[in-house]
Amino acid sequence: MTEAKNVALSKNEKVASSGKAAVRAEKENEITKVLTFLIGEQVYGIEIPYIIEIIGVPRITHVPCYEIPSFIKGIINVRSKVVPVVNVRSCFGKEEIEYDERACTVIVAHEGVSVGLIVDEVLDVSSVSEKHIARTPELNRVNNNKFIDYILEMNDGVKLVLDVQKLIFDHDLASF
Amino acid sequence: MPKVEFGMEAMLDAYLFESSTLLEQLDEILLRTEQAGTFTEEDINEIFRIMHTVKGSSAMMGFESLQQLSHKGEDMFFLIRENKIEDTSFVYDLVFRMSDLFKAEIELLQADGEYEPTDFSDIIKELERGAAMLSGAVPMPETATESSAAAPAVTASSVEDIYMPGCIAVRIIFEHGIEMENLRAFLLLNKIREETEVIEYYPENVDTDSSTAAHIAENGFTVTFKAEDKEAVQKILEAALNIESFEFVEDAGAGTESPIESESVDDASGTLAEAKVEKAVSIEAPKKAEPAKAAPSASAGNNSGASAPSHLGGKQSIISVNLAKLDQLHDIVGEIITTESMVISNPELDGLQLESFHKAARELRKLTDELQDTVMSIRMVPLSGPFSKMNRIVRDMKKALNKDVDLIIEGQETEVDKSIVDNLNDPLMHLVRNCMDHGIETNVDDRIKNGKPAKAFIKLSAVNASGEVIITITDDGKGIDPEKVLDKAERLGLLMKPRGDYSEREAQNLITMPGFSTNEQVTEYSGRGVGMDVVKQNIEKCGGTVVVESKLGQGTSFVIKIPLTLAIIEGMEIEVGGTIFSIPISMIKQSFKVTSDQIIRDTQRGEMIMIRGACYPIMRLHERFGIPSDVTEFEDGILLLVETENKSVCLFSDRLIGEQQVVVKPFPPYFSRYNIKGAGLSGCTIMGDGSIALIIDVANLIEG
Repeated sequence: MTEAKNVALSKNEKVASSGKAAVRAEKENEITKVLTFLIGEQVYGIEIPYIIEIIGVPRITHVPCYEIPSFIKGIINVRSKVVPVVNVRSCFGKEEIEYDERACTVIVAHEGVSVGLIVDEVLDVSSVSEKHIARTPELNRVNNNKFIDYILEMNDGVKLVLDVQKLIFDHDLASF
Repeated sequence: MPKVEFGMEAMLDAYLFESSTLLEQLDEILLRTEQAGTFTEEDINEIFRIMHTVKGSSAMMGFESLQQLSHKGEDMFFLIRENKIEDTSFVYDLVFRMSDLFKAEIELLQADGEYEPTDFSDIIKELERGAAMLSGAVPMPETATESSAAAPAVTASSVEDIYMPGCIAVRIIFEHGIEMENLRAFLLLNKIREETEVIEYYPENVDTDSSTAAHIAENGFTVTFKAEDKEAVQKILEAALNIESFEFVEDAGAGTESPIESESVDDASGTLAEAKVEKAVSIEAPKKAEPAKAAPSASAGNNSGASAPSHLGGKQSIISVNLAKLDQLHDIVGEIITTESMVISNPELDGLQLESFHKAARELRKLTDELQDTVMSIRMVPLSGPFSKMNRIVRDMKKALNKDVDLIIEGQETEVDKSIVDNLNDPLMHLVRNCMDHGIETNVDDRIKNGKPAKAFIKLSAVNASGEVIITITDDGKGIDPEKVLDKAERLGLLMKPRGDYSEREAQNLITMPGFSTNEQVTEYSGRGVGMDVVKQNIEKCGGTVVVESKLGQGTSFVIKIPLTLAIIEGMEIEVGGTIFSIPISMIKQSFKVTSDQIIRDTQRGEMIMIRGACYPIMRLHERFGIPSDVTEFEDGILLLVETENKSVCLFSDRLIGEQQVVVKPFPPYFSRYNIKGAGLSGCTIMGDGSIALIIDVANLIEG
């Protein structure tokens, strides 16, 4: 967490040094902010308004019901609220790895439903403006793309911004 | 129009709550007295007090129509009290109607959006007529307000009449610019009345005439009362809000001339102003033995307050709290407990000798446990609220339908979470109405022919069983004829399978289908074809079920089961492969250890055990739930004998953890598409250490 913060700070400093005009331009063009995180080598993002909080990986209580897909790891207690957790890795059909100290649970909420997303590592918060959004005429329907809302092409690489609505509600899209 | 004047919004909630509580009390008293057939003096005073408070606060909030309504109601009871009228039977309907209209208006005020005051002129006219009848067919005198109650025909128009021998007057100056001085004066007057007998006050008509506000703002509000209660009044004034100053003007005793001659009001206040002390009391020449007198009279005042039974006592020991705050409190307590165990079982403490730390930690745990229990119990309210409302419905319908019915209430002390109680009101009302309207025979002869007593009963009962709250509404009426139900369902096209396939019970439960109402005649009370449907929906909203059980000719029962959701259950915590489960203790018959050689194995690798001559199948929970566990030998684990209505099974678990009261939380809505209930789990709960335990639904576990 602190690491992520540091990254965000240093980025801000960079922006500050590049002059006031640039800041204003950036501000005007900014359409949203995206929290970026890692799954394996790939950088993904979730728009900030969906995010409630970021916590570590707490103790997960598995719900033993054979109908529940395996990427739903169970339920956790987030300040006296019971929240389901999804392992994003396994939701994307990737091999699960053990949760290390960098693994985080990003709690997102949409239409009153909250879900915890376990990601490998949280990176930072990026300001997104129109010019960053890559034109993706036709996303081919392979596993990973089903949850992707749009793609960002930024100086530090390509970021795939996830569609939280689909991530939360379209369980059937997941590959498991 | 806006509901209240600017600046009064904050008081609206308090007003609504207070008024509805008072009206409930009024209903209660009326029901009780109607049953007893007579008003005691205490009852009348209590009713009078309720009406008066409602009137006063309505006036303060600026709800003129409500104020008038309660004013007329008050008049009626004033006449009953003054004229000692015995025959009051006709009053009940009138006052019940008034309280209903009042409640409806309060609901309107509670609703979001615009508020238009309702026109109460019809009921007011009727109340006036009722009052006229009470006063012996004489048109009701306009002056029958509370002021003439104590003052013997005084119509004081100037301040000079206020000072009377043996009395003391107090002039109250309100803070500058607080507005609505007249209503504040009126409220204050009511408070003073609780302590002493008010002889006179000036200006008059503060509750109805808002032009008096200007006078009070300028010259203050003068109240004359019996001198011996001075201390009590002084206390009230000291405690009252928005009072800038007040001063007593004592009657100097017999013989001396009135301290103020027939001066104009302005002159009088000018004289008094000389003695004015800022928020202090100028006590002149204390009378002999006055303190001694005042003390007993103050305590007498308290006694008379206590004799107005439930209310004063209730007011002191109960406060109303916003539910959202309770939720917040509950969450915070949860966090405290989590944090507590983070501190106490902090890995950095490992291997340290910390005797006093552990002692303090144990103490802390005990306290936080207590805190959690208390917070949980705060949310629980007894069912007596919605249950006692049924008294009123039965009473009204008894008259309207001319049926002789007793309402029996059992188990009203059963506690349910507040949010569930709120959802229960409508269903209960519909069901009781259904029983009254359709259930109980219209013709008493039909009852006697069937060997039933002429007087029918409706029983409302609640029990906390197997982690569920079961509410049963039973009548001994004519029951539901499955053939009739099927006929109708067929006609309406509601049958889902061939008619012959419906069992009696299934047929009877068809009445809960949307759009079904067996009564041909739509009555005032039920039969709109929505009743049972609404009942079912409302109950299902809080996760419950309704089942109809009926025997033709013997009666009908509606059984409402409210699941664990939100309810507190006594659970036995067990562990299976690292996962904690909670089983409602009421389902557990016993727990015991066994050795492998006691186990009987059948041909399909099923395991059983003999206990006291009965053979029970064994269910290994780790296998049932597919949780890998190290404990697979019977010697290492423990067996729990659980029992449902028709089946008993022994559950094999790793170990028992202990008993704990838990608040059941439903699984998050995210899981709603999966059949978790079918897997034998009914919900989850957050344990003291912040971990989550899964609550086992024994019935589904065994069946599934």
